[in-house]
Amino acid sequence: MTAATITSPPANPAILPARGGILSSLSDLFWRRPKFLLLLMLLPPLLWLGIVYLGALLALLLQSFFSIDEFSGMINREFTLKTYSELLLPSNIDIILRTVTMAALVTVASAVIAFPIAYYAARYARGKWKALFYLGVMLPLWSSYLVKVYAWKLILAKEGILGWLLEKLHLTWLLDAWLSLPIVGGNSLSVSFTGTFIVFVYVWLPFMILPIQAALERVPVSLTEASGDLGASPGQTFRHVVFPLALPGIVAGSIFTFSLTLGDYIIPQIIGTSRLFIGQAVYAHQGTAGNIPLAAAFTVVPIVIMGFYLWAAKRMGAFDAL
Amino acid sequence: MTPAVSFTKVSRHFGTVRAVDAVDLEIQPGEFFAMLGPSGSGKTTCLRLIAGFEQPTAGHIRIFGEEAQGVPPYRRNVNTVFQDYALFPHLNVLDNVAYGLMVRGIGRAERHKAAEEALALVRLPGFGARKPSQLSGGQRQRVALARALINRPKVLLLDEPLGALDLKLRESMQEELKILQTSLGITFVFVTHDQGEALSMADRVAVFNEGRIMQVGTPQDIYQKPRSRFVADFVGSSNVLPPDFVQRYAGQRRWGSLRPESIRVARQAAGEGVQARVVALNYLGSATRLSLDAGGLRLHATVPAGAALPEPGEHVALTFNREQLHLMEEGA
Repeated sequence: MTAATITSPPANPAILPARGGILSSLSDLFWRRPKFLLLLMLLPPLLWLGIVYLGALLALLLQSFFSIDEFSGMINREFTLKTYSELLLPSNIDIILRTVTMAALVTVASAVIAFPIAYYAARYARGKWKALFYLGVMLPLWSSYLVKVYAWKLILAKEGILGWLLEKLHLTWLLDAWLSLPIVGGNSLSVSFTGTFIVFVYVWLPFMILPIQAALERVPVSLTEASGDLGASPGQTFRHVVFPLALPGIVAGSIFTFSLTLGDYIIPQIIGTSRLFIGQAVYAHQGTAGNIPLAAAFTVVPIVIMGFYLWAAKRMGAFDAL
Repeated sequence: MTPAVSFTKVSRHFGTVRAVDAVDLEIQPGEFFAMLGPSGSGKTTCLRLIAGFEQPTAGHIRIFGEEAQGVPPYRRNVNTVFQDYALFPHLNVLDNVAYGLMVRGIGRAERHKAAEEALALVRLPGFGARKPSQLSGGQRQRVALARALINRPKVLLLDEPLGALDLKLRESMQEELKILQTSLGITFVFVTHDQGEALSMADRVAVFNEGRIMQVGTPQDIYQKPRSRFVADFVGSSNVLPPDFVQRYAGQRRWGSLRPESIRVARQAAGEGVQARVVALNYLGSATRLSLDAGGLRLHATVPAGAALPEPGEHVALTFNREQLHLMEEGA
């Protein structure tokens, strides 16, 4: 060997010494006990979920088994099903059915409107069009929900923008015909269930578009090509490949639109008739009426409905493609 | 005889990119035809043109004599084995295979029976109940094959179907595909960038480069008589010889090619032949490949196992038979 002597070799041990310091020994500790790190990271959110969220939910559930003394207005803290029997009064059943029907209609309409938008975004939009899509979907979420609802009131009011537009198009008769219908009609769109429905669909639409888009994004183009290659018409490809694979996204989106509609009390208060939705009933009972037990019982309704909904969705195999 | 697939001046341009540029091609019925080329050479686009996923910008495609212009994929009796297999993740293996029959409205019992048979054909009997995610790469490949064969297509298109498999599996699948093709008599069109695969499986090979076909011929033709430098370079390890060099030995100023196995290596320097220095040795098992430097020209030669090997840095003399030197076309 030629003498390539290294003068005073620098320390180059096989095992490096500990760097010292608290951070370094913490790193070593976490490396040796990865579960400890996991625990440390999960503890705050678990505490939050466990105490604040689930605790509040349990307290609520508990309240619904109390009752109110009709004469004194005091809450009687004894276990009873009296409040639930009150929930089953025809006027309250009306509220529940109205809300559930509205939530179901809003969900179906959102899914129908959202699907083509999500499909376009997932399949065709690239580069700046994709950015524009995200901006377009998210932008309404940046502004206050109240402002948007009041803006819609202006649009839907009797002398509002939509009425003006229809007048210019000589379609006022169409609007009048619609408004003269029972249930969905009214004096103007802003005081009808139709108006409530339109605003619900508008406000919750992003929550439907984004999950569907995410689901479609995960469907490789080669799958639709393979379907066509094997002889499936575009309609068959949609029915047998695209829709089943988008279904988890649709279900995820519908959980948002359905539960948000079930619980909302502001939109029907600003735009709609004087007939109550669940959210408004809860608001009224816990506020002026001071009937916390009934308000709590009303709140349990959407929770139970969502539970059934998820169970049914799972039974239908909506989560199989996840 | 009507060709299974014929291209007449077919082009497919994407903006300024000429993915396929004025290609003429005839694939005969019952043929195992390989499209070989580097990525981006237009071979996959040609396959997609036959399948109908792409429409030509210009030219005509005929499938068994019938004009394919404007015919959507679902009306072409042509099926594809996709590179990523494209198995439907929400369906089990049996329903995947039966899909082509299902969309044609064939009853459940009948199509499942046919699917079982197709699975047996690709040696996966009894796998019907599994989901694609529960299969290995090789098994998915077979399912994709069974699914594509269930409609008894006139032409089966295979887009680099063996690309994702490991060497051992790839070799056994190559053999099986070849046997399957012979027994079914279906025209296979096979896209690959692996020259070994193309040469070993195909009846004829088309070599693609930059949207054009550089050469079409039998594997022997392509291997032994490359028409251009690109083909010689791409199809294997041939030595490409510049005109100056060729003129000395063949008397013509043309590019030439010489197979590494045609070169004999003599260990004494200053002997007869081309003087060269050994740069490196690569042991290949059945032979050893020598990298040689012949006065600036980089050459490769293979020495069969068992023969005496020179050392790196050693000077050697190279000889070859004149007729082994293949002359390429002028301007190649």
